[in-house]
Amino acid sequence: MFEKVLIANRGEIAVRIIRACKELNIRTVAVYSEVDANSMHVQMADEAICIGKAPSSESYLRIDRIISAAEITDVDAIHPGYGFLSENAHFAEVCESCNIRFIGPSPRAMNALEDKAVSRALAKKAGVETPPGSEGTVENEKDALVVAKKIGYPVMIKAVAGGGGRGMRIAHNDISLVKGYHTARAEAEKAFGNSGVYIEKFIENPHHIEIQILGDNKGKIIHLGERDCSVQRRNQKLIEESPSPLLEQKFRKLRDKIGKAAIRIAEAARYTNAGTVEFIVDDHGNFYFLEVNKRIQVEHPVTEEVTGIDLVRAQLEVAMGEPLRYSQSDIVLKGHAIECRINAEDPFNDFRPSPGRIEMYYQPGGRDVRVDTHAYAGYTVPPTYDSMIGKLIVKGKDRRDAIDRMNRALNEFLITGTKTTISFQQAIMQDPNFRRGVYSTNFVEQLLGGARRELIEEKT
Amino acid sequence: MDLKDIKAIIDLMKKNSITEFELEEKESKLRLKRGLSASASAIQSEDAIQMIPMPIAAPISAPTAQLAVSSSSAASNAGEIDIKSPMIGTFYRSPSPESAPYVDVGTEVNSETVACIIEAMKVMNEIKAEVKGVVTQVLVENGKPVEFGQPLFKIRPL
Repeated sequence: MFEKVLIANRGEIAVRIIRACKELNIRTVAVYSEVDANSMHVQMADEAICIGKAPSSESYLRIDRIISAAEITDVDAIHPGYGFLSENAHFAEVCESCNIRFIGPSPRAMNALEDKAVSRALAKKAGVETPPGSEGTVENEKDALVVAKKIGYPVMIKAVAGGGGRGMRIAHNDISLVKGYHTARAEAEKAFGNSGVYIEKFIENPHHIEIQILGDNKGKIIHLGERDCSVQRRNQKLIEESPSPLLEQKFRKLRDKIGKAAIRIAEAARYTNAGTVEFIVDDHGNFYFLEVNKRIQVEHPVTEEVTGIDLVRAQLEVAMGEPLRYSQSDIVLKGHAIECRINAEDPFNDFRPSPGRIEMYYQPGGRDVRVDTHAYAGYTVPPTYDSMIGKLIVKGKDRRDAIDRMNRALNEFLITGTKTTISFQQAIMQDPNFRRGVYSTNFVEQLLGGARRELIEEKT
Repeated sequence: MDLKDIKAIIDLMKKNSITEFELEEKESKLRLKRGLSASASAIQSEDAIQMIPMPIAAPISAPTAQLAVSSSSAASNAGEIDIKSPMIGTFYRSPSPESAPYVDVGTEVNSETVACIIEAMKVMNEIKAEVKGVVTQVLVENGKPVEFGQPLFKIRPL
C-alpha cells in the first residue's frame, strides 16, 4: 500500500491523479514551477514543492529535482501523468534505483517499445499489420526515394521519437519527399533530440482507432475497448468517443480482432500498467498498427465512462502489486461517451493560443456530465505550457443521446477572459456529418475550409 | 531572566514547534508568541517573535535590559537581498555535524564564499553566496528540507 505519492505533472491530469490518490487514502505531493504556484493541483495536494522556473526544461522535465522532491517528502511512488517524463525509460529506471515505484510500465517494456520504428518491428513480429513502409529508420535521401517508390505515394515521413501528433509530414511526390525528408529530420532533432525518421504509406481517409490496455505485474493483460479519435486538427485530437461509430456501423467484428491484436503486441513487449495501442483503420475495414502510447492518455475518461472502470485507480493498484481485478469477459461497453477538449485558443485566429486570466468560469453540470479541469475563476493560464485547460465528457444511452447532451453542456459552459474552443466544439456537434458518424481525420480541415465558417462564428 | 535564557527558550520553541510560551516568575512575567506564515506549501522559514515583558510587582531592582520587541519577519529592511535555494534538498549550515557553520549572522561574504550545503540524492552541494555583503539573517534551520527558490539567507550588500 502506498502511503504517499508524488505527481510529476501539472494541470488537469495532476488534479485527476490527486483525486484517485485521495480516494484510496494516499497522501499526495505536488511539484510545480514558479508560474504554477497558484495552480489547482498545488492547492489540492497535501504537500507541494517548487521545483524550478517556468520552462519545462527547468522544472517538470528535471529528473534530479523531481527525485530530490520525492526524497525530502519521502514518497513511495511517483505518477508521471502524460507527456513530460511519462514515457522516459531513464526516469523510470532512476525511480526504481532510488527505491521509488514508478506508476507506469516497467523500464523493460518501455525499452521494448522505445520508439515508433522499433515498435513497428515488434508489431510485425506479433503478426499485426503495419502500414507499408521502411524497415526501421531511413538514413538518407536516396533510401527515402526508394521506399516511397516501393510503397507508392502519398507517404508520411515520421520522426521515430515523435509523440502527441508532432513530427509528421506528408509527401505526394519525389520533390516534396526530398524537401520534407530534410525538414523533418532537422525538426525532429530540434524537438525530440533525435533526428531519426521512418516512412509509412499514408492511408487515405484514415480513422484513428485506439485500444486501451491494462496489464498487471503478473503478465495478465486485458483491453477495454476502443476510442475513436479521428476528429483532429493538425494531428492534435479535438474529440474522442467510444464506441467508434465506424466500428458500430460498419465493422462490428473488428473490435474483437483489433483488441486481440493490441493484446498480442502488449504481450510481446511484456507490457505492464496502463497503455494505449493506436491503429489506423481504412474505409474497407483494414487495420494497421501505428504506435503504443506507454502512459495514461488525455482521453482516458471516455473509456472510464463506458466501462465503469477507474483507470487511474487501476494504475495505482497495479503499481502496488495487486493482480488485475478484471477479466476480459468483465469488460463491456455500455452506452456512448464523448469527450471534447477545451483549449485556450482562438478558433477565429487560426487557433492561436490565448493565455490570460479567466474572469468568469461556470462549468456545465447535470446528469452524466463530467468536467476534468484545473481551471477556475481568477486562474491565469500561463503561456509556457500546452493550451488545454480542460475536458468535457458526457455519457448517453447511445451516440445520438450523447451528442445532444454534449451540445447542451457546451452551451452552458461559460469561460470569459481568454478565448476558448468551446464554440468550435459546438459547431462540430451540430455538423451533419459528425452527427451521422461519417468522418475521418480530414474532417476538421474540411469543416474549416468549407462554408461552415458562419456556423462557427455565430456561436460566439 | 536574562537575554541568554530568553534566546534558549526561543530556540526550544522553534525546535519543538511551540507557538506560545508563558512564564511567570517572582518579579516578572514573560510571554513569547510565534507568528507562523499561513502558506501550506513553503517550508517555514521565518518566525516573528514578540516579547512582552510584564513586571508583576514593583521590583527593588528594575530589570536592567529593556527588551526590545523583536523585529517582524516579513518586511525586509531596505536594500537587503535574499540568497535563494537553487535546488531541492536538505539544508546544512556546516560541512559536517562537528564543524562550525559556514556563515553566521554578521559574517562577511563575497561571491565565492560557500554559505551552506544542500544535500540532494546523497550528494552534498556547496552553495555559494554569489553576492558581496554581510549576512543579516539565517532563514532556515539546520537539517530542514528546502525547495527551489526558497530564501535561505538575508544579505546586506556591500
